[in-house]
Formats: sequence, C-alpha cells, structure tokens
Amino acid sequence: MRKYAKVVSQEPVGAGVFLLRLEAPAVAAATSPGTFVMLRVSGGPEPLLARPFSVHGAEGDHLLILYQVVGRGTEMLSRVEPGRELACWGPLGNGFNLDCQRPLLVAGGMGVAPLWFAARAMAERGAEVSVLFGLAGAGGYSELLAVLQDQAEAGKISLSFTTEDGSLGEKGLVTHLMPQALERADRVLACGPPAMLKAVASLAAEAEVACQVSLEAPMACGVGACLGCVVPAVPGGGYLRVCQEGPVLGAARVDWERL
Amino acid sequence: MGTKVKTAVKVGSLELANPVLAASGTFGYGREFAKYLDLNRLGGVVTKGLSLEPRDGNPPPRIVETAAGMLNAIGLANVGAEVFLEEKLPFLAALDCKVVVNLYAEGIDQFAGLAERLRGAEGIDALEINVSCPNVKGGGVAFGVDPISVAAVTRAVRENSDLPVWVKLTPNVTDPVPIALAAQKAGAEALSLINTIMGMAIDARRRTPRLANVMGGLSGPAIKPVGLRMVHLVSRAVDIPVVGLGGIMTGEDAAEYLLAGATAVQVGTASFGDPSSCQRVADELAQFCAQEGVADVNELVGALKT
Ligand SMILES: Cc1cc2nc3c(=O)[nH]c(=O)nc-3n(C[C@H](O)[C@H](O)[C@H](O)COP(=O)(O)OP(=O)(O)OC[C@H]3O[C@@H](n4cnc5c(N)ncnc54)[C@H](O)[C@@H]3O)c2cc1C
Ligand SMILES: Cc1cc2nc3c(=O)[nH]c(=O)nc-3n(C[C@H](O)[C@H](O)[C@H](O)COP(=O)(O)O)c2cc1C
Ligand code: FES
Repeated sequence: MRKYAKVVSQEPVGAGVFLLRLEAPAVAAATSPGTFVMLRVSGGPEPLLARPFSVHGAEGDHLLILYQVVGRGTEMLSRVEPGRELACWGPLGNGFNLDCQRPLLVAGGMGVAPLWFAARAMAERGAEVSVLFGLAGAGGYSELLAVLQDQAEAGKISLSFTTEDGSLGEKGLVTHLMPQALERADRVLACGPPAMLKAVASLAAEAEVACQVSLEAPMACGVGACLGCVVPAVPGGGYLRVCQEGPVLGAARVDWERL
Repeated sequence: MGTKVKTAVKVGSLELANPVLAASGTFGYGREFAKYLDLNRLGGVVTKGLSLEPRDGNPPPRIVETAAGMLNAIGLANVGAEVFLEEKLPFLAALDCKVVVNLYAEGIDQFAGLAERLRGAEGIDALEINVSCPNVKGGGVAFGVDPISVAAVTRAVRENSDLPVWVKLTPNVTDPVPIALAAQKAGAEALSLINTIMGMAIDARRRTPRLANVMGGLSGPAIKPVGLRMVHLVSRAVDIPVVGLGGIMTGEDAAEYLLAGATAVQVGTASFGDPSSCQRVADELAQFCAQEGVADVNELVGALKT
C-alpha cells in the first residue's frame, strides 16, 4: 500500500517558484482546499523526511502543487523530471471552511498556494471572493502573477496586490488593505508567514469577522503520530498538531503570543 | 519467491508472526498508519510512551532534520492512561499483531502505579519500560544510566503487572552491559535497544539551538552503527532476547540487527519518510532470507561470523 504520485509536468512560474503537476487520482479526488500532501523527493536517506505541501488545485486525476525553492528538499524537487514517481500521501489535515458568501482571502508569499485553490472553489459556488496578495516585490514573479490575474478575471475573483517595494499594487504590507476589505467580508481565510497571520487574526478579531489561518510547522510524519508539528493553543488547550488539528485552524484557537 | 520463509519469532514468552515491530513514538497508537499498511502483517506495534496523566510535552520546535537522521525533543507528550485505555487500546486490541505498551514515569512509585493502572486491560501483550527519562527523585539523571535504578524500575513494574516486561535501554552510557544485566536480574523478559542518542543542532546564522529544548534525541540511519554495536555487545552478555532498533530502513538493515544478536527488531524513524515502512521491512526481510537460502529467520539471530 505504498502511495505514489507520478510527475506529469513541472514548470517554472517565477524566480525559484514551480508549478508541479502530479498524477495522483485518489488524492485529487479526496482533496479539498487547505489540505496538504507529504512528498518524498529522495529515495534514500538524504533528505530523510518527506516535505509537506498544500494542494494548489485538483483537475481530474491531477494534483497541482505550487512551491518555492527554499532548501535542499525543494531544490531536489525542482530537478525532478516528468515520469518520475514520488512517494506521496494525502490528502492530510483539515481544510478551509468554504461556506460563506463574501470571503476575504489574505495571502503572503507562497501562502497563495492553498488560498488560490479555495478562492476558485468558492467563486465557482457563487461566492464574492476577494483576494489580497502580499509579496516582498513583484520582480521575478511575472508568470505566476499573469496566470493568477487571468484566472481571477475568468473566475470573477477580485484580486489586489501589495508589495513591500512598491513594484506592484499598493506599497506596504498586505494587512494595510484589510480594514477596508473587512467591512464587506463574512469570513477571513489567511495563509502566509506567522507575523502576517498574527496581524490578520488580530484585525479580523477587532472587526468581529470569523478567521481561519493555515499554519506551517516542521513535520516528520504528517499523519499525527510523531507529535513534532505542534503549535501552542490558547491557554488550557496544550498544543495543536498542525498536521491533524490543522493546518487550517480557527484563529481564536491559536496562542499567538507563544507562536 | 518460491520457498516460504518461516518468519515467526519468540521474544521471551511472546510469539510474533514476524520479527518486525513498529517503534514507540514513531507510530502513534497504530491507527494513524492504518491507511498505509496492513497492521495485521506486522509482528507488533509499540505504542507512544504512556504516562499515568496526560502530558503536553515540550514547546516547539520539537524536531529538526539532520544528516541521515533527525533530532526530536517531543517531551513525551501523550494522552495519559485513561484516554489510552478508553480510546486507543480497543482499536489495537482488535489487531492480530502484538501490542506492546511503552511506559514512562518520573519515579519508581509512578512506574508501579502506571503498571497497576494497566493491569488486566484487554489487548496488551507486553510492557516496554522507557528508562531514558529523568528520574525526578534521583536528581533528574536518567534512570537508564544507573543499574540500580533500572533494576528497581523493572522490579516495580513486574510486581504490579502480569505481563511480560521489556526494558528499553538508552545508548547514552559508557557501557550498556551492566545495565542490561541489572534489568535481566530484576526480571526483564527482553531488552530493547537502542533509544535515541542525545544530540544538538545549531543555527549558526541566528546563533540559536534549532530545538526549543536545546537538546534532543538523534534517530534514523545515522545511528544504525551505534545500535548494531550495542545489540552485539548486550546480546552476548545476557540470556534474554534482545529487540534491536536504531536506523532500520530496509529488510537488509533488519537482517544486520538479527545477525548482531537481536531476536526481533523495531522500525522507527523510517515510518516518517514512508508510512508503509514497517510492512515493507518485514516483506524485504522475508525476501532477503529467501534470496540467501535462509528457511527460518531464527537462523540469522546471532549468526554473525567474527
Ligand atoms: C501544511 C504545510 C503546507 C505547505 N505548503 C507549501 C506550499 O504549498 N508551497 C511551498 O512552497 N511551501 C509549502 N510549505 C513549506 C514547505 O514544506 C517547506 O518550504 C519545505 O519543507 C522546505 O524544505 P527544504 O528541504 O527545501 O528546506 P530545508 O530548510 O532544507 O528543510 C529542512 C527541514 O525544515 C523543514 N521546513 C523548512 N521550511 C519549512 C516550512 N516553512 N514549514 C514547515 N517545514 C519547513 C523541512 O520540511 C525539512 O524537514 C508547507 C508547509 C506546511 C507545514
Ligand atoms: C519522534 C520520536 C518520538 C519517540 N518517542 C519515544 C517514546 O515515547 N518512547 C520511547 O521509548 N522511544 C521513543 N522514541 C525512540 C524510538 O522508539 C527509537 O528508539 C529511536 O528513534 C531509534 O530508532 P529509529 O532510528 O528506527 O527511529 C521516539 C523517537 C522519535 C523519532
Ligand atoms: S507531523 Fe507528525 S504529528 Fe504532525
């Protein structure tokens, strides 16, 4: 019962950013936005552990993964040729609650990977979806941004950008756009760096809008067994396993001070 | 495979369908892996270290990958005896494979209390004492480094249980043999070794430890040579069976442990990189035997030529 996925294609869509298409019928059929898979890039002991990746989309038998090269595992993954089989198991964890009318999705960097899957799924169901996408700078991301803009237009998703260097959209942090956007929103879904998520959670709480965040943590098993992936829960709640109780968690369950 | 290899082994009074068990702390309570392998095809499952009361464990980060291995400082987070008995054990009890419960406590009395709490519970086949934990009354030094403490803990658990008692030894000692002999004398039916090797990882740019706990236990292929040596040393010194572990990734790794003197093996960290590892190792071990003309895995036990 070893689980594999076959690499169908892999395209660079930005500086060190790749769109990986895997043939994984069972995972593709069972996934929902916010869930993730474990992908093992090597067959040997280096690196030893699999890497967690959010599902970016599912099309028929295919699973899409959008990822950025940040270390040796992702670097190795970026060199994998079509036809190769990778150990892959999932979908894992709990996804986003998509049941709302005017969701506000706040993405930081690669946090766009799971959120875009959610945005398209919700738009298809007729929700009025707004996405705020924050990047350090737009330089190097032109292909990815063009694809997202095309899909946003086709899918009637409102997409706004912020960049810290001002190269695209409003200059500054993505949270700067939130207060106004929150006025219409009935739920916030967010994924990005911890500092961003903390700020998003706090703005959503002030505006009394329900907020779900997708968190990251180093993982060994991905299936709830090793207890390595925990984040602190609000006092009295101990710890939450990102792979099991998460990766999508109600922002109110997380102890942001200790995160 | 033409010939059918005999895979059953006896660890003390416990008969296993094959020599491969899942190691404590790397396999949860078994159910987590049910989708990825056939649990009934394993020799056994050793559950996550259990304490009387639930434990939250250490703050994160708790794990970090290292060269051919990983460090963990989970802090023995677990659900506690009550939830274990009510929610985790029934699933395990229904399996064909043997269920070994790994025990953790911070004092002799607590170990005795834990064994007593588990007494009579249906579905437990053996207890494995984790002596790598700090002895709170003994000043926080791990029980496992002191033969007298190991003997006392072993006796306390034996006296409060009708189950076979295995003692899991730590490699963080100069010589494991006196400790192994002490456990044997106190009534251990088997010895499991090795637990993780204490280690550390540092982020040089931030000048910080990579684990919140600063130190952690090293596991994975990196530690296999250490495990093999300790199994070799201990199995020659004691008369009770040894269960070998540390860095087993393949059936051939398992065969190496049997040759070194182990009667059975446990697969730990390998389950993280491939959740079907335990079953795969069992299958590969049988294939290895078939290829090598070994009709019964027991022929490998201690068969190292030196
Ligand atoms: C639920 C989840 C979903 C994710 N989804 C995506 C995604 O869609 N796209 C994407 O680009 N990245 C995603 N990540 C982050 C991705 O897993 C890491 O970038 C990747 O593990 C880095 O591996 P590496 O070997 O290249 O880096 P290294 O730094 O060499 O990795 C060393 C170790 O640290 C771990 N690690 C490093 N960075 C992270 C991180 N940010 N989160 C968790 N563990 C980390 C690795 O898994 C590995 O065990 C996700 C993480 C989680 C937990
Ligand atoms: C994440 C993790 C948690 C562990 N938890 C326990 C535990 O609760 N009790 C115990 O006796 N050993 C525990 N161990 C040790 C393993 O059972 C095993 O002895 C060790 O990892 C060496 O084997 P390996 O290299 O195959 O993993 C743990 C190991 C890891 C990696
Ligand atoms: S990654 Fe192992 S418990 Fe979450």
